[in-house]
Amino acid sequence: MTIPPVVLLLVLVALCGAALALAAFVWAVRNGQLDPGGAGASVIFDEEEPAGAPTDQVFPARKEHALL
Amino acid sequence: MTSAPGEKNADLVSRRRSLDEAAALPVLLYFTTGVVWLLVGTVLGLIASLKFDMPDWLSRVAPLTFGRVRPAHLNAVTYGWASLAGAGCLLWLVSRLCLVPVQLRKSLIASAALWNLGLIYGTGAILFGYSRGVEWLEYPLPAAGMIAAAFLLFAASILQTFRRRTVPHLYVSLWYAVAAVVWFPFLYVVANLPVYSGVTHAAVNWWYGHNALAVWFTPIGLALAYYFIPKVIGRPIYSYYLSLLGFWSFALFYNWNGIHHLVGGPVPTWLQTISIIASVLMVIPVMAVAVNHHLTTAGNFRYLRTSPTLRFTVVGAMCYTAVSFQGSLEALRDMQEVVHFTHYTIGHAHLGVYAFLTMILFGAMYYITPRVAKWNWPQPKLIKLHFWLTAAGIGIYVVAMCTGGVLQGYAMNDPARPFVEVIRLTRPWLGMRSVSGMMILAGHLVFAYLFAQMIYHTGPRRETAPWTEATPV
Repeated sequence: MTIPPVVLLLVLVALCGAALALAAFVWAVRNGQLDPGGAGASVIFDEEEPAGAPTDQVFPARKEHALL
Repeated sequence: MTSAPGEKNADLVSRRRSLDEAAALPVLLYFTTGVVWLLVGTVLGLIASLKFDMPDWLSRVAPLTFGRVRPAHLNAVTYGWASLAGAGCLLWLVSRLCLVPVQLRKSLIASAALWNLGLIYGTGAILFGYSRGVEWLEYPLPAAGMIAAAFLLFAASILQTFRRRTVPHLYVSLWYAVAAVVWFPFLYVVANLPVYSGVTHAAVNWWYGHNALAVWFTPIGLALAYYFIPKVIGRPIYSYYLSLLGFWSFALFYNWNGIHHLVGGPVPTWLQTISIIASVLMVIPVMAVAVNHHLTTAGNFRYLRTSPTLRFTVVGAMCYTAVSFQGSLEALRDMQEVVHFTHYTIGHAHLGVYAFLTMILFGAMYYITPRVAKWNWPQPKLIKLHFWLTAAGIGIYVVAMCTGGVLQGYAMNDPARPFVEVIRLTRPWLGMRSVSGMMILAGHLVFAYLFAQMIYHTGPRRETAPWTEATPV
């Protein structure tokens, strides 16, 4: 059975993709991106929009049945 | 915890505002054309649905026969609405998480133009009978080529923004966003190559069809949910470590799932079995996301009353859990025996692409649009109307199709029942689907009206958050 060259090429490209993913994972581990207990979750907050202060308060909250 | 507007604070404000300004034109281009395709796609879907209730309606108009409007609907809503709106959201999000203005803005404008030309060409070709006849890949090669080129320009911009990042830590949303733009162009180009035939073509077809969700639409939805849920509530993700575990298990398992669409078909059994196993393993990343989002939101449900973004995003995130568990079960052979080739599959597809992805896209657009269009949503009551029409609409849709589909499946498995009786059995459920489709279309018209007001700065001027001239957010 002969394997068409295009299939070989696609398998090669797919292996490169897998290698890239593995490299990204190794980089992430070595770089400390996956350290448990890291402060990663807080990077979306800063002084202007701190944790503890909600954003996007578009609807007035006072009414009893504001959901409707 | 609000500090006095000191110098550093002012820097942050102007930095966020300058990021929004750099993102504004490309994001609004993607959003606006996305909303147009949302309306086009919804009308096409509703026409397809009504044909089940009135089989003779429009049957003499060739471009509007069922075999053409249904694939035209699928392509218009996925490559048009969901992809364009998703691309706009990713541009804004990646810029914000990298703290760098959107890069390669001129090529983004070319990308949006090319993308829309491809959509017009491809959707027109389907309606006039030039479909390639492969589900999810109906667009003729020139249209697919235009969309692929547009996507590569978009990916180049995202990757360049990512490369210039000024932050040391990659937030979990960034993993999903960057992975999506690396994975999807490869997938789209390989699947569109005109080199497959026979069973291989079917396998490639569903490897593609499922992965369009796995490596493009789902990462968009999750990237947005992981940002907007904690951001709106003002509370960090409950377990950040779990969110990263979720990402890597997602990356490992999801791309094996496609062949479960061919369970019972002519592809090798081992291939089907691998795919079923991977589909069940998806429970791990899905649990990671579900637990995390729930525990982040727990105790803060009151913000569902005040934030349109949170309302849409939380509904979308809950539906992600639902559709994923449904998908894991649906891949099992016992379940496939009943629901394969029934309306159940259509219910599942809409629970995924609509109740999960589209709801989250709406939520993200409610957050992003005021910041890039520099205008506040003028009529909050219409936002609520949009929410309830679409949420109730898709709820009815999914319940009707899944219930009708299971009944249809059992009936079709009974050799004693004549086929026409099975058709009659499904009619009330299909009627419910058409009603829900009208509710969804009405919701979309409300959203399009609101969005047009944002673009043209019309409607009542509101001085509340987020957009204020004096103290910008």
